[in-house]
Amino acid sequence: MSVDRKHLGRRYGPFRFQVSVEQIRDFVAATGGGVPGHAFSSPPDRYHHPWTWDEEAAKASPHGGIVAPPAFATTFAIEPFARACSDPELAVNVLRLVHGEQEFEFHEPVRPGDVLETEGEITRLQERGNLDFVEVTTTTRNQHGRLVVKGVWTAIIRN
Amino acid sequence: MKRLQDFTVGDTFELVREVDPYRPVYYAGASGDYNPIHIDPAVGRAAGYQGVILQGMCTFSWLSDTCVGYLGDPARLLRLRARFTKPVQVGDVIRIEGRCVAVEGDAVKLELSARNQRGEDVLKGAVAEARAGER
Repeated sequence: MSVDRKHLGRRYGPFRFQVSVEQIRDFVAATGGGVPGHAFSSPPDRYHHPWTWDEEAAKASPHGGIVAPPAFATTFAIEPFARACSDPELAVNVLRLVHGEQEFEFHEPVRPGDVLETEGEITRLQERGNLDFVEVTTTTRNQHGRLVVKGVWTAIIRN
Repeated sequence: MKRLQDFTVGDTFELVREVDPYRPVYYAGASGDYNPIHIDPAVGRAAGYQGVILQGMCTFSWLSDTCVGYLGDPARLLRLRARFTKPVQVGDVIRIEGRCVAVEGDAVKLELSARNQRGEDVLKGAVAEARAGER
């Protein structure tokens, strides 16, 4: 095992993230076949859900305005996982690391203006054959103290 | 919007996404994941690939979008998980296929696959849970 098991339970954060409508739009364009940004940009294609980027359509929806697509969680919740993977104490070789597994539990939609705080903890360190597994569990809450999303992020390191 | 009675076990749905050369860069900018393996072809080649590889979370996002397209409301998705089994590279065409496997009360369960143009799985064990009831 290249990662010492004493690091189980090691914590990262909280990390703060203020959500803007531009960030949501850029994420939707990048993942929806469009081009993000304000110059030479283009909107997502028709397969993308309009409530996540079209203000008019979103206004008429049950949400009353734009909500982020669920996978937008990666932008604000990844930080504890990224910090763990690059933590000098863990001494992981990032060139041998791949993102192996991902799970999200969505509790509350994310909206422009939300202020999110994410904390993470190493919840599994396991060796299987010549592979090391590092699992980080993250919890994100919004400015109302409500749970927004729980993430379980697993890195696999080839030894 | 779709109602609970519109969800039936055996329903199928799909999404096809093509990885154009700029997609990993667009995704880097939008997500904040600027790992050089996603934006520098030399780093990708050094790691044994043909060039850059797409961020796994971009593929994961397509998985999520496939579910949302079927569910009709982004807030209905409660849980999504998958294992990344094969890198996605520039030029790949990823077809995500989903199937409704259970409707119990207002809980809907989905199973998904994601394959490249060679029919290889880029994700495995992809499952989603959703709530389709009125809010």
